Amino acid sequence: MADGTLWTWTVQRFAPKSPPYVSPPNGFTPFAVGYVELADGSRVEAVLDVEDPYIGMPLRLSQEAGQVPHAREVE
Amino acid sequence: MSVHIIGAARTPFGRTELSGREHGVRAARAALVDAGIPWSRVGAAFGGSDAAGNADTLVADLGLTGVPFVNVRNGCATGGSALISAVNAIRGGMADVVLAVGFDKHPRGAFDPRPEEWGLDEAYGREGLMVTTQFFGMKIQRYAHNHGITPRTLALVAEKAYRNGSRTPEAWRRKEITADEILESGMVNDPLTRFMFCSPGEGAAALVLCSESVAQGRDTVELRSAVVRTRPPGSFEVFSPRLEAGTPTSVSTVAAAAAFEAAGIGPEDVEVCQLQDTESGAEVMHLAECGFCEHGEQEKLIPFGATEIGGMLPVNTDGGCIANGEPIGASGLRQVYEVVTQLRGRAGERQVPGAPTVGFTHVYGAPGVSACTVLTS
Repeated sequence: MADGTLWTWTVQRFAPKSPPYVSPPNGFTPFAVGYVELADGSRVEAVLDVEDPYIGMPLRLSQEAGQVPHAREVE
Repeated sequence: MSVHIIGAARTPFGRTELSGREHGVRAARAALVDAGIPWSRVGAAFGGSDAAGNADTLVADLGLTGVPFVNVRNGCATGGSALISAVNAIRGGMADVVLAVGFDKHPRGAFDPRPEEWGLDEAYGREGLMVTTQFFGMKIQRYAHNHGITPRTLALVAEKAYRNGSRTPEAWRRKEITADEILESGMVNDPLTRFMFCSPGEGAAALVLCSESVAQGRDTVELRSAVVRTRPPGSFEVFSPRLEAGTPTSVSTVAAAAAFEAAGIGPEDVEVCQLQDTESGAEVMHLAECGFCEHGEQEKLIPFGATEIGGMLPVNTDGGCIANGEPIGASGLRQVYEVVTQLRGRAGERQVPGAPTVGFTHVYGAPGVSACTVLTS
């Protein structure tokens, strides 16, 4: 877990090619992806589990085994 | 020792029944005809594709002369790497007439690389992060935030590409599209819309190069420099789980500076240029990365027509990748073909006025590679 701010982002609006992409059980829905800037200035790519991302958005990074990093909004 | 281009050709890009290799044969033959040089006179050949096979198989069609033919497979820098090899072959005395050829053909839709080929965990593929267009969206998103680039300017870059494509007989996208239509064409990866992107496609380009003595008395363009560079520390590249602290560096900046230094010519001298425009944002950023303006200055140039064919610095006069599509192995030489055509004054409807004498080409690609050339007539 680490806190940071959103450095850049985009929204993946089309379903990536499968394989390698594995679509969720209910089908593809657009998702946000970006780079989270940490206190040391480095940035980590993460799936953004947020609505309406914006540069500078405060985020908390976490990563579960076998997944890419995910970021959620800090309340 | 100077190196000269005496023949240049390309095939129509797009989607046809032709194989990538057949495009390569056609471009090579047309370049030889343009040079007025028989294949038997060619002393060395370099070329390749990313996804359409080996270039040395072209000898079956061009003729079994025994010529040394080296296959090059270097992603977006395939054409640039073939050119450097050609220059070295001429300067090193291996041959005084050399062919460089690039061709390709890709399936429809976005490129879909596998994470394991990039040293990444398979989760990056499973969760949908192995998508090149995401990177382009994220890079221009940050750049636009820092330097005040507007969506309208991104649309104007694409509008120009389609307009120039409409004047280029061999371009794929030959219908003009307005900036409003481009903005409304559907978001693909914010802030980039569908019509701001190039599509993977097919095509070929070929050049015949020669030494100074062979060039005597011919209609030549001098290849002043050809440079390929791989990324410096701290650059922001596709499929990077991390990016180190600080303002990102750029391999395009490194390659362009080296090309200008080797040529003894600066960006201020360039009268026509081709910049990698995988999408609109790339052309905007590459203008500054290659030294043609300050970061953010694009907003004072593009909306005022500076990069149009009649402008101060015409960029992507053939419509670039946006109007021609992206056959990876062919794009670099397609750019050189276009500059050669402009410097010879043979570009017809899309001819840059005022008889330009200095040109520049630039490609950029994964995993952080750039190839640049400087050409003079």
